[in-house]
Amino acid sequence: MYLGIDVGGTHTDAVAVENGAVRASCKIVTRHEDLLASINGALEEILAQVDAGAVRQLNLSTTLSTNALVQGRIDDVGVLVSCGPGVDPASFAPGRHFYIIDGAIDHRGVESRALDKAAAARAVDDCRKQGVNVFAAVTKFSIRNPSQEIALKEAAQDADFVTMGHTLAGRLGFPRRVATAYFNCAVWRLYNGFVNAVSESIRAMGLNCPVGMLKADGGTLPLDVSRSFPVQSIFSGPAASVMGIIALCDIRQDSVIFDIGGTTTDIAVFAEGAPLIERDGISIGGHPTLVRALRVRSIAVGGDSALSVAGGLVRVGPQREGPSMAAGGGRPTLTDALNAAGRSAYGDVAASEKGIADMARDYGVDARKFAETAIRSAVDHIHQETRAFLAEINERPVYTIHEMLEDRRIVPNRVYLMGGPSHSMSGDVREAFKTPVIVPENASVANAVGAALTRTTHDVHLFADTQRGFLLIPSLELSEEVGKNFDLKAAEAEAKRRLGERLREIDASTGFDDVEITESSSFNMVSGYGTVGRNIRVKAQVKPGVLERINQS
Amino acid sequence: MHNDKNKLGIIFFPAFDWAISPTHPEREERLLYTQDQLWEEGVFDIKGVCEYKPDVAERTDVERAHFCFPDVDAVTTRSHMIAAGGAIRAARLVLENECDKAFALVRPPGHHAMKVVHGSRGFCNINNEAVMIEYAREHYGIKRVAVVDTDCHHGDGSQDVFWHDPDVLFISLHQDGRTLYPGSGFPTECGGPKALGRTINIPLPPRTSDEGFLTVLDRVVLPILDDFKPELIVNSAGQDNHYSDPITNMNFSAQGYALLNQRLSPHIAVLEGGYSIQGALPYVNLGIILAMAGQDFSHVREPDYNAEAIRQDRRIDDYVDALCDQLPALYFDPPSTPEDGSFSNGCYVRKKNIYYDTDGITETQVESLHLCDDCLGVLKVESKSSVNPKSLGVQLYAGACESCRSLALDMVEQARLKGDYRFIQFINRCDKEYSRYGY
Ligand SMILES: [Zn+2]
Ligand SMILES: [Zn+2]
Repeated sequence: MYLGIDVGGTHTDAVAVENGAVRASCKIVTRHEDLLASINGALEEILAQVDAGAVRQLNLSTTLSTNALVQGRIDDVGVLVSCGPGVDPASFAPGRHFYIIDGAIDHRGVESRALDKAAAARAVDDCRKQGVNVFAAVTKFSIRNPSQEIALKEAAQDADFVTMGHTLAGRLGFPRRVATAYFNCAVWRLYNGFVNAVSESIRAMGLNCPVGMLKADGGTLPLDVSRSFPVQSIFSGPAASVMGIIALCDIRQDSVIFDIGGTTTDIAVFAEGAPLIERDGISIGGHPTLVRALRVRSIAVGGDSALSVAGGLVRVGPQREGPSMAAGGGRPTLTDALNAAGRSAYGDVAASEKGIADMARDYGVDARKFAETAIRSAVDHIHQETRAFLAEINERPVYTIHEMLEDRRIVPNRVYLMGGPSHSMSGDVREAFKTPVIVPENASVANAVGAALTRTTHDVHLFADTQRGFLLIPSLELSEEVGKNFDLKAAEAEAKRRLGERLREIDASTGFDDVEITESSSFNMVSGYGTVGRNIRVKAQVKPGVLERINQS
Repeated sequence: MHNDKNKLGIIFFPAFDWAISPTHPEREERLLYTQDQLWEEGVFDIKGVCEYKPDVAERTDVERAHFCFPDVDAVTTRSHMIAAGGAIRAARLVLENECDKAFALVRPPGHHAMKVVHGSRGFCNINNEAVMIEYAREHYGIKRVAVVDTDCHHGDGSQDVFWHDPDVLFISLHQDGRTLYPGSGFPTECGGPKALGRTINIPLPPRTSDEGFLTVLDRVVLPILDDFKPELIVNSAGQDNHYSDPITNMNFSAQGYALLNQRLSPHIAVLEGGYSIQGALPYVNLGIILAMAGQDFSHVREPDYNAEAIRQDRRIDDYVDALCDQLPALYFDPPSTPEDGSFSNGCYVRKKNIYYDTDGITETQVESLHLCDDCLGVLKVESKSSVNPKSLGVQLYAGACESCRSLALDMVEQARLKGDYRFIQFINRCDKEYSRYGY
């Protein structure tokens, strides 16, 4: 049996899944000031229905780190960077303790300027005097040569915690690496305190299973591993829902998924059944990071979006002024329009009908027609945003003639709907998108189902330079010598092998077969009139997936 | 966070699966380190900087600018159509006001490709800027364009394409032709009879440094641009003036390229040559991008930069000074007749021998411009090469007078009926018709 808990902005959902069926579920109001209590509350309700001894895995998706960042409840971080010339780092420096240490590595991984270790030590001292005890150590091109980050870490050896940029991701992007390392440190203390408390309380409830933390990329990280990478737990909410729909439906085609919530609708896109992942990484507080995430777009249309009339057109959202009138609010929302149009019967239907009738009268139109127009307007808005989102996805740059000519475009031919108003809006969505629309059973707890069934994911980047005779897998802190004959095939095999090893180390349940190569290139390096070596880049990953599917009747 | 000064569109197409030959300078690896540097620096996360996919140029787009013998397909590969398409995309972004500026970081280059194309010369098959400019003029109604070519090699292809066109001002800064391929680009080459002073060549001595380039920019290029008032400024952004370039002898730096771009402020830059792929391109491209985006580039520097080592000799200062004194007159007070060619029967005629070094092709050409007082006239090129029998290209310019229009149509008709041309191509800019015969 798998347990999943998704601590969301409004509700905390929990489910227990066994043999393709949801055995237990609950939904409680999230207590933002005490997330542990929300988790405990949900867990208690579930464990009252199922046997704790039968639980094989518990996965959590929490807003802890996200909230901490939004509310500024984070630690001061000493950020030590060595970057040499280039874009002025002052333009993206996070936090107040930012130190540029002399030193530089170039794009080939060659140290073009030695690190000023004395300056690094002085910076650390300076931070300690100001009570700063966590440090981010980041070098430009550290993923091609991590030596300066390692030296920066050594300069801060007595610190409570140090994040080295190259351990976070193997991708290029120095400002993103700086921001990611910064946020990782900023929430480290809070996150670890939370993990301690959660571990304690779930043991107290008799659970002895492995615990996973959901990441934004639709995968999990074992709780203990996540202690060093708390930034990975950020923005996992949309991923829980997307993974939920994968568990609920057997998606095989290009598809669009809508999760219609109270204030927003999240749009996710699937290519041949697999969710798309952001090419870069999510932004946190305006800082782009290297945190991998499923590609999700949020638009400001939801059940609680207020109706308004402008220029003779009925609009839904973007503002939200309290809940729907059906739920005791003071102004008609999309939910009220659905009630008044006879599509749903949520809460106080009479209140919805009155609110819509009053509003319609002000504009001299029939109430029912007004409600229908509002619903269509909401769906049209979602439709337009989806088209723009798809256009953006299909515009993604490519770098080879082969890909340019192949021009693989995503053309969805299925729409999946989740969230409160799904059933009542499916007809309009079908009409707007001219594709079949599917509303899965159990969609209301899809997010918790997603959390429960999500597998461990991991990815590694391998970089090899046979002229200089080395290979690196930065996130595994691994470097090896390679000979002149090391080639792309050998590099792919090595990346797969190392990723497989790492996976078995952190999570025995993920099979080696799930590893796939997603990027792979080898360039002959030429000097004068001859080839002097190969410059090889390989990315291997375990793609997001679920442990099992929920049977649909 | 960065301020957004300019919205800059970057069309980055490194063609990672295309090379002239495995160890040729124009090979897969050429933009690899540039991509690494741009990604590592976070260039595409700077507010206002956006990456776009290239268009793929169509045959008509090439036929609007070039006479291709035997035809477009025979002298291009997909990579050329994508590079030219990248330039077209840059023009679309700017002219449709989606971006303030655009940089087509594409390969292969194009500025050695001339009006007539039989194959590849100087690593170029078709002229990306020419294809782009003719596309822009046909689709967006612009007329006056300035091309400033900052590649180390003389932009002889672009010069040839625009030789008779007074609405395109072509200025080339390059290493003196007495010391470098293609051996041309002297100040006396200043345009055809209808476009005198609209081609300006600025040959600089070997080892000219940032100072020399920027002085020439301030004292020659910018005053001429001020007067010409182009609707569009295009920079043919070759990067082989860099001090580390393996096939040239200049001392320009990344900082210099950035400053030049800041002052020139082109709407569109199109990558040309530049073969110091590790030591120059990553830094020069970063500098150009930051300058075009209106961002601070003062920290951009090559790891091995040494101001002393590349400081310009006093004799170069003096030489550059003298050039700056003399060259503006070529534009403001151009000579009354071209330096070469002859006039006969109301036509200006010149004969050319062209060598395609990359493909080893030789071509002989007789080019004649029918002179008209009311319009730009009719251009006729007879061309024969080691790979194609005698062929003919006829071009009628946009805004041609009625008599020139009938003359051109008649010329093509007569050539088809009686001429001994294997291939005939007619560029009819007046009616926007591009036709080929003999295929
Ligand atoms: Zn060149
Ligand atoms: Zn005429």
